[in-house]
Amino acid sequence: MNVPLSPLIHLIDDDEAVRASLALLIGTVGLRVQTWADPQAFLADFDRQAIGAIVLDVRMPGISGLTVLDMLIAQGVDQPVIMLTGHGTVEMCRRAFKSGAAEFLEKPVDDEALLEALQNAVRLHVKSRQRHQAGREARQRYEQLSEREREVLGLIVAGLTNKEIGRALDLSPRTVETHRANLFAKLGAESLAQLIRQYAALVDGQDGAP
Amino acid sequence: MRKPVRRLAVGVAIWLAVSALGCVVLARDELRRLRDAFETDARIAHRLLSQRAVQHDAVLATLALLQPANTADRSEQRLPSLYSQILGVQRRDPGLSWPDAPMRDAEAQSKALQRAVLARVDLAAARYQLVLASEPASFAMQIDLRAAVPWSEWPMPPETSKVRLALEHQGQAFVLQPGRISERGWRFDFRKHLAADSQPFDVVASRQVGWSELPWAEMLAWVAAVGAAVAGLAALGRQRAGRQRAEELLRLGQVGRLNALGELAAGMAHELNQPLTAVLANSQAAQRLLNDDPPDIETARNAMAQAVEQGRRAADVVGRLRRAVERPDLSQQLATVVLQEAVHNAFYLLEPEFNRCAISPRLVASPAPVIVRADPVALEQIIYNLLTNALQALEQVPPAARDLVVEVSTNAGSGMLTVTDTGPGVPPEVLPHLFEPFFSTRENGLGLGLSLCETLAQGMGGALSAAHHRPRGAVFTLTLPLASP
Repeated sequence: MNVPLSPLIHLIDDDEAVRASLALLIGTVGLRVQTWADPQAFLADFDRQAIGAIVLDVRMPGISGLTVLDMLIAQGVDQPVIMLTGHGTVEMCRRAFKSGAAEFLEKPVDDEALLEALQNAVRLHVKSRQRHQAGREARQRYEQLSEREREVLGLIVAGLTNKEIGRALDLSPRTVETHRANLFAKLGAESLAQLIRQYAALVDGQDGAP
Repeated sequence: MRKPVRRLAVGVAIWLAVSALGCVVLARDELRRLRDAFETDARIAHRLLSQRAVQHDAVLATLALLQPANTADRSEQRLPSLYSQILGVQRRDPGLSWPDAPMRDAEAQSKALQRAVLARVDLAAARYQLVLASEPASFAMQIDLRAAVPWSEWPMPPETSKVRLALEHQGQAFVLQPGRISERGWRFDFRKHLAADSQPFDVVASRQVGWSELPWAEMLAWVAAVGAAVAGLAALGRQRAGRQRAEELLRLGQVGRLNALGELAAGMAHELNQPLTAVLANSQAAQRLLNDDPPDIETARNAMAQAVEQGRRAADVVGRLRRAVERPDLSQQLATVVLQEAVHNAFYLLEPEFNRCAISPRLVASPAPVIVRADPVALEQIIYNLLTNALQALEQVPPAARDLVVEVSTNAGSGMLTVTDTGPGVPPEVLPHLFEPFFSTRENGLGLGLSLCETLAQGMGGALSAAHHRPRGAVFTLTLPLASP
């Protein structure tokens, strides 16, 4: 996964002057900005892989910013969404956060507030992508294990000793020891604690799965 | 469309049902009255006839008792001249017997029964004989029933009465009065023996009440009265429904105005926020660009130009908004309005509110109407607002201390209306801001009510002012030009 030069901010607002000015402002802190006048075009075309955040106006002709937010969340888009509104009500704010908005700001927005929110959002996104990445690598390693090794891993995570595992799987403790060494090597685990921390969720989640 | 038709049908049904019920009661009452009258008349007739029959018995008995010693004495033959119903008196002298068989049989019967008996009854001719056996001579009287009837005391006019009355005996009948008996209607009957054993005639009376004798006039009047009552009730219901509807409309109007205001505010916020957002973002971007090292002057200059343009755009929005909500010139729609009536209208509209707060507002005014030039709707809105404000102020003090006075007067060519309440009053520091738009001392107040009232008052060439009321409360004074100063 190659991380681009700098995070990309998607800015969706139907007002050209607002788009241009906010893009300029966001650009002053070195973030790249892509502006969208039409929420539908944005939904169809934006780069879902890029690191960054989305700035979404609530009041737009045709489709409400809150609806766009719901669609983004439903599509599993992981970029944090910052909502902008000219006339925010408590109810609207509540709904936005409930739907998964990262931040809710009122227009006209102060540069400090907007830029700080964006930087927080980008940091958040980078972290979440890293976590996601780690998870993916762990899964790839896990998939290299043989059937038997997975069984052994499951019992190790469950806290059984070699002897107990041997009894449970009808193997000699020596064979268990061999499997154990193999799976430690394949998963790149250096300690039992690390093994459990990284793979317990996979064992639980994929129990019985092919 | 359906509802009025259904209401009409229900009204007509109620009218018909109540009318029919009333008519039945009236007809039954009338029939009972007629029956009572008939029975009274029949009883009187029976009594009179019975008296006569008893009289005949008495005359005959007297004759038998006072038998003249001398058979040549024929003084009894003078009786017919005394009693017109006695056609003749016969005497069976001692040692003799009656010449014909019926008389002889009657005498024998009379002897056995120890009382007078009938003989040779000919009711068709209204005649009969009454025979009394006695010693030494027996007597008989021939009676003319027609003459026996005491017409002078008779309870009915015999020629025109509708009552048929007859004396009947063993299939014979003597009709005293024919009456008028028809096929249809209600029939009353009366039958009773005469109260004299010697003359066992039946008094038979009957009366036929025809449809035409029902109390049609009363029934018609009743139907009309019920119709009027139902129509009146319906009108009352409509009036009440109308009032409810008017109140509902008023409430809806208020809600609608609030909604419109909210929508206006939302629209305004969006329309203004877009350019303001651009102004702020451009200016702040320019600031940052100029603070960079080295400063990006060209881009900053462009940003500032954008900011200026967006500033103008915001100004345009405000200008457009003002033109959109500009009120039509009120001075064009002025009419003459009686201030007292306007106050009464407002009291009427707010009656439920007053009751809820246990306040009875007083109107202090001269009897002469104070007529001002005003737009009736605008004036009503001002008074309504002032009264509502006063109510809300009074709610903050105990019920016993609540007083609300509206005074209507004239002063130097102007009509004056003051609303005085004994609420907490207006703090001195608030007084100068009272009529400013969006200024409110209430938690959820929009702060537009008094501002609007003042604008309306000025639009009609008047003024609105507020002052402190001593010892406690506030007084608002509305001044409007008199219609004829």
